[in-house]
Amino acid sequence: MRKILQRRELVADPWRYPGEEGAVPQLLALAEAVAAGAALPPGSGVMVAPGEDIAPLLPLLPKVAIVVLRFEKAGEGRGFSLAQLLRQQHRFGGTIRAAGAAVKRDLLFLLARCGCDEFEFAAGEDPVAASAHLQRFSVAHQPASDLLVHPSLRA
Amino acid sequence: MLRVAVPYGLLSSTQLRMLAHIARRYDRGYGHFSTRQNIQYNWPKLEEVPDILADLASVEMHALQTSGNCIRNTTSDHLAGVAADELEDPRPWCELIRQWSSVHPEFNWLPRKFKIAVTGAARDRAATAIHDIGLRLVRGPEGSTGFEVAVGGGLGRMPILGKVIREWLPGEELLAYLEAILRVYNLHGRRDNIHRARIKVLVKALGIDAFRAQVEAEYQANRAHVPTVTPGRIAALRAAFAPPAWRPLADLPPPAAPAASAAFVAWHRHNTVAHKVPGYRVVFVSLKKHGEAPGDITADQMDALAALADRHSFGELRSTHDQNLVLADCEQGQLAALHAELDRLGLATPNIGTLTDMICCPGLDFCSLANAGSIGVAKQIHEQFDDLDYLYDLGEIQLKMSGCMNACGHHHVGHIGILGVDKHGQEWYQITLGGSPAGEASLGEVIGPSVPKAAVAATLARILETYVRCRQSPEETFLQAVRRLGVQPFSERAYAQDPATA
Repeated sequence: MRKILQRRELVADPWRYPGEEGAVPQLLALAEAVAAGAALPPGSGVMVAPGEDIAPLLPLLPKVAIVVLRFEKAGEGRGFSLAQLLRQQHRFGGTIRAAGAAVKRDLLFLLARCGCDEFEFAAGEDPVAASAHLQRFSVAHQPASDLLVHPSLRA
Repeated sequence: MLRVAVPYGLLSSTQLRMLAHIARRYDRGYGHFSTRQNIQYNWPKLEEVPDILADLASVEMHALQTSGNCIRNTTSDHLAGVAADELEDPRPWCELIRQWSSVHPEFNWLPRKFKIAVTGAARDRAATAIHDIGLRLVRGPEGSTGFEVAVGGGLGRMPILGKVIREWLPGEELLAYLEAILRVYNLHGRRDNIHRARIKVLVKALGIDAFRAQVEAEYQANRAHVPTVTPGRIAALRAAFAPPAWRPLADLPPPAAPAASAAFVAWHRHNTVAHKVPGYRVVFVSLKKHGEAPGDITADQMDALAALADRHSFGELRSTHDQNLVLADCEQGQLAALHAELDRLGLATPNIGTLTDMICCPGLDFCSLANAGSIGVAKQIHEQFDDLDYLYDLGEIQLKMSGCMNACGHHHVGHIGILGVDKHGQEWYQITLGGSPAGEASLGEVIGPSVPKAAVAATLARILETYVRCRQSPEETFLQAVRRLGVQPFSERAYAQDPATA
């Protein structure tokens, strides 16, 4: 069972990824969600791969409960900007999950500052030890989305 | 190699002493100042790096963002705050950028490294045209401060000068605009090929107009989420760079024989420049002594120099992108004593601005990327051109040398550029002429086939003989002559006696 760091707690993943079997609801690939259009059920979950254009998803955001951003390779940094865009310009109030082989403890502080609030870590990463890195630095020079790092800033 | 950040090249004497301590305790007793105003140590033991970082932190220094695909050290004019041609001190703005870019959560995994330079003077001593973003301070409505913003400059395999994306950006909008440029780059810059990943490739592919449209759209859309730089914030930053307590002094006449020694006269003429305040001069500490690798300095020299900075220049030093150091606020009446001390330390070679004040990457001796031993070539050039009077007659020449096409030695913008290339396992050198990082910045033109290592200095000698023969007057600089004549007369002569070149 996939474990997810949700806010600061380790929980069983309440979502199935595309192609997985199980009882919990299934995430849609971005193209599927966009294809559903107005028929997209409220509370849907959407998975976004690196480099995918999220513009067609924006009108559907009120029906989206979770966006999963994939970080598959070290150095893949587009998801940081996508998270910030979703939180700031598009006022997305649902969950943003950072997921993939590149999600390790040294990125946690940065991802959280960009607005991610759920994390699926790389295989082999210890989620409990990694979660301490949410408090990696005690100060920040820039305003950011900061859902987890500075809870006082949460909308 | 451990690279330590020196923000915009500014160092306190306390920090320099710590850099000396690190060189002595953890390395082989010396450090190397780079072309980005940072210092590098070549031999730290991995297991001692935590101790080094702890020592650095004790003097408010670190090695964050000195490597990797992130926003690197913001560089600036080494004469900031003391140059007469300055519109405004760029350092408060550099510090603003330093803070904003430090551990920026969104921009730590860019497609490729990202370099920003700021100049506040009429003469661009920060080489802003070859940076990912080049910022030039300009005056706007009612004397307000803002920037001309250029983007997409760079060297390496695809040398290109930055293009102006904004002719006027109000200072309070700086961070919002930088954020927009970086976001467009982070989302759309190429990530499939490391050699095509710098922002210059994106700007070139889209064209500056289309790139500008994307940045402006992002800037407008994001405007509400990046705070303006308030007047109070800028005032606080400016206060942090308040001038030192200059004494009311009068200018002294420059030293002359017979009262002054020839060595002091030459050093004064070549290694000091005007200060904006009467009675002071700016002193360059030459790290280009014959026999030493350009930019290298020993721990003992650093300690002694820190003491001289305390005594002569308010405890402050700057590193330059030409790999020298600067004592910016020296009283003219103390210069003879200062010269004697620097001379004793081997730091007074009177060659600033001349051919042998060359800039040079670490090359094969230290770098795993290099094709060529640029330091060895530097020694060869020092030996060929050991006659100071001839160097002075040649006048201002910037020689820049890189050991590979990554161009850490900025060879494309050298008046004379030298690039190490590998030919079947042998070191060969390609020569370019007519590059310049400043003013009307330009990229050098290749004069012809590369030459073997042993022939580099002799080839340069023939090029420079051609200059001396062809210049219209002693006032016409080498760069001016190359721009007037083109490279042809130089290339014709360069290969004249060297049929071995291929």
